[in-house]
Amino acid sequence: MSTNANTVSTSLSTRDMHSTTMRSSWQLVKRGLINTRRLPSAFIPTLAMPIFNMLSFSGTFFALTKLPGFPTDRSVNWFMPLGLAMGAAFSGVGLGFSLIRDLENGFYDRLRMSPTSRASLIVGPILATWIRVTLVTLVVFGAGTMLGARPTAGVMSYVCSWIAAIGISTIGAGWGLGLAYRFQDMRGAAIMQMSIFLTMFLSTAQVPLYVMTGWLHTVARINPVTNIFRLSRSGWVNANDPGYMSWSNSYGGLIAIVALSALTLIFALRSLQKLDN
Amino acid sequence: MSGAATLANDVSVQRSTSAALRQTFALAKRSTLELFRQPALVVPSIVFPLFFSFLGNSSFGKTTSLPGFPKVNSYLQFQLAGTITQGVLFGSVTGAAALATDIENGFFDRLLASPTSRLSILFGRIAGSVLFGALETAVFVLVLLPFGADVSAGVPGIIAMIISGALIALAVGALMSSVALKTGSSEAVQGTFPLLFILLFFSSAFFPRETMSGTYKTIAGLNPISHLVEGLRALSLEGFSVSATARAILVPLAIAIVALYIASRQLNARLRAN
Repeated sequence: MSTNANTVSTSLSTRDMHSTTMRSSWQLVKRGLINTRRLPSAFIPTLAMPIFNMLSFSGTFFALTKLPGFPTDRSVNWFMPLGLAMGAAFSGVGLGFSLIRDLENGFYDRLRMSPTSRASLIVGPILATWIRVTLVTLVVFGAGTMLGARPTAGVMSYVCSWIAAIGISTIGAGWGLGLAYRFQDMRGAAIMQMSIFLTMFLSTAQVPLYVMTGWLHTVARINPVTNIFRLSRSGWVNANDPGYMSWSNSYGGLIAIVALSALTLIFALRSLQKLDN
Repeated sequence: MSGAATLANDVSVQRSTSAALRQTFALAKRSTLELFRQPALVVPSIVFPLFFSFLGNSSFGKTTSLPGFPKVNSYLQFQLAGTITQGVLFGSVTGAAALATDIENGFFDRLLASPTSRLSILFGRIAGSVLFGALETAVFVLVLLPFGADVSAGVPGIIAMIISGALIALAVGALMSSVALKTGSSEAVQGTFPLLFILLFFSSAFFPRETMSGTYKTIAGLNPISHLVEGLRALSLEGFSVSATARAILVPLAIAIVALYIASRQLNARLRAN
């Protein structure tokens, strides 16, 4: 009888805890979205940056498509996923910036004093970031289409690029939050930006592997972000290209997203626990 | 009597000119020392362009055989001019932000309260950026030279490049100082950084104009940054000639004259407001 009562009470308390986590997360999602609306100056750069990236890179490096064997004859098809990835990454690390602001002005201490589950402090802002990244993705797709981007695998082209963007934003968010918890001031911001920037550009962000020479080829080949770019671009390259949409060109990217997200989110959670202690 | 008055007037003009020069020199020394004492402010404007050079060399090394690409030994040789311009642009923003900081923390007002020549306050600050621009150019050439960024114009070309780098720093430093004088906010000066970044990307800094097409090619052709870069590039690729040297020096000089005029007008506007 007592054992049964304990079990029921434990399962109820677990259910309560989950429901509290979800409710708190939802409130933090709402706060994140309201902040986006009230502080457009913080969101607009995230929106403008991928468009600028796509526009400038596809214009400057237009001639790349004339290289023998280049995966597409439209430079915007190649650089749109880069723009998306940059926008998503900076939306993710942007969470770190807002966390630093919250830590500095004392709001975060109030959150930590409240009976909120610790997981919701990470889950809520990440969900808000996913919504923002989806908005950015839609705008970039629209701008890309106007600039001449054309999918080669139908709706799946958009879906794969969106999954890659969501994945990159999660990795960026985990990394940004973790660093913000550790540094608790703007010193962390420089490291967030620099590390994300380097990781992106030391991959196939600009050119395919076969075009690279020297040290960059070796680094990009082992950089997991290369797999994410392959996934993101698989629906934008020519149908006869080896990188065209297929399971073998997608699973590497999915594994990289899951593994890097898990690692960075564990880093964020551990850093939060350290802050609590 | 009238002759004595003219002589006295001449002596006083000479004295005030020499005082203004001394003050400019002292303020230039201050701004230069300030830059070197805070390496965290200046190191990124040297390290990042170098990183992008090596990244570009590995990424775009195979593109040098594309139609429209000038004849080069390596992509680094082509990229050298872009690297110099990029580094000098970013370094000059730091110098102008320091002028805005002087306005924010009241040092500018203390200078105004002293019998300092007004123009020396502006020129002293820009002189620090000019010196740093020349130094950056020398560093970029020396670091990239062993990796294949040959300067066809030889030693005279390198000297012309350093002068050109200094003039680009003068032009950009003066323009950014106008922003500093207008707004009095270092944040606003730093806020112009994305604008410079956009101008740089919409130019021929990273790829030749001949390989671009359509509207983008037109924009790159109208962009003054393209002309700054191409002047320097002429020395790097074409060898030493009067026309290459003139392009490398006269284009930034012309922009610098206009920028200095704008900056001195902004200074006068701020003095009137004070």
